[in-house]
Amino acid sequence: MISAVIIVLREVLEAMLVICILLASSSALGINRRWLVYALAAGLAGAFSYAFMFNDISQLFEGFGQEIFNATMLIFIALSLSAYNLVAIWFLKTGRITLAPGLIYLALISSVSFAMTREGSEIYIYVYAYGIVADNISTVVSGGMIGAGIGLSLGIFIYYGLASLAPEKRIIVSCVLALLMTSGMLSKAVLYLIQADLLPAQLPLWDSSNVISESSLMGELLHAMLGYEANPTAIQVLVYLGSLLLFFAYFWLRFDPVSLLRRHSLQRKKS
Amino acid sequence: MKMGAMSRLRGLLRYSDAGCLLIFSLFFPVYVSAQTPVFEIEIRDHLFYPSELTIPSGLKVKLIIYNRDASPEEFESFELNREKVIMGKSQGIVFIGPLKPGEYSFFGEFNPRTAQGKIIAD
Repeated sequence: MISAVIIVLREVLEAMLVICILLASSSALGINRRWLVYALAAGLAGAFSYAFMFNDISQLFEGFGQEIFNATMLIFIALSLSAYNLVAIWFLKTGRITLAPGLIYLALISSVSFAMTREGSEIYIYVYAYGIVADNISTVVSGGMIGAGIGLSLGIFIYYGLASLAPEKRIIVSCVLALLMTSGMLSKAVLYLIQADLLPAQLPLWDSSNVISESSLMGELLHAMLGYEANPTAIQVLVYLGSLLLFFAYFWLRFDPVSLLRRHSLQRKKS
Repeated sequence: MKMGAMSRLRGLLRYSDAGCLLIFSLFFPVYVSAQTPVFEIEIRDHLFYPSELTIPSGLKVKLIIYNRDASPEEFESFELNREKVIMGKSQGIVFIGPLKPGEYSFFGEFNPRTAQGKIIAD
């Protein structure tokens, strides 16, 4: 039963983090929470479809369909999260949401549903094969519920941690977290493509598994939240740092944070 | 003046230095061999056969994993940074390496207690 706990927990964790960060942040932007219902429904539908067609998808692209689909989904999530981040930062600067509500919903819903599709499909494959087919439903389902419960508790903890912040701080913290998750996802997409020999394979740049091992709880959390890798290759590191730098460069040039900070400190002095 | 410097910087960054860095990274030391060595692993009764596989170090290696069980298994390794779900009565291909000499353990995520193995690079 422990295997079921760990398997479900690991998969739930990543999707949970995306949901909690977006939920906390979007409430600060004044966006109706309704999007979560659609996102959960789409995510469940996606997970079932992906699991159902898994064998066929896997055999596509000369047997690398799994890597290509996963990499594509990760890139979609990264793009959706970045789009949402931009909206949130615009909101900080102008106090208004400058994107059509439909598009914001789309960004929020695609981030969550793709994350759920990727993780949920694996949960479904495991539960179906080792629970239903193996006639071992009670063990697998109870283990899975415990794992999901732990993931849910962690998510709720993070959500309330974020929700306790003032709206402005909440948006900034969520944006930073989402940005790190985005870079982590892009670096993970790169890893899938390396696995499929679509990107060059290289020696790892470093090995920090004696500091924080990826199999430890801290390592798993950091991996889900920030895309922590104990032994990344050069391409992964460059994609990670490159995407961070790109976003910061765009943010710095477009939104002129120096004047933004000056304006806010002036306002604070007045009041 | 600050404004002038900013617009010049904007012009530079428009050519996406990060993009150039990314392309540059592709030419980092890459181990190209005329033919990638192929190795095979079987999954039978939730066990890996062989459970210890020796591969040449410093080379990219093609690993074909045959799942002879009816149930799916996920070939996963933290040390190798690979994970792939292989459905029952099916096979999957995973590229590993280049690896420094040493031992790298892998496991089956769906059966972590029995399905364990290691890759030895020498």
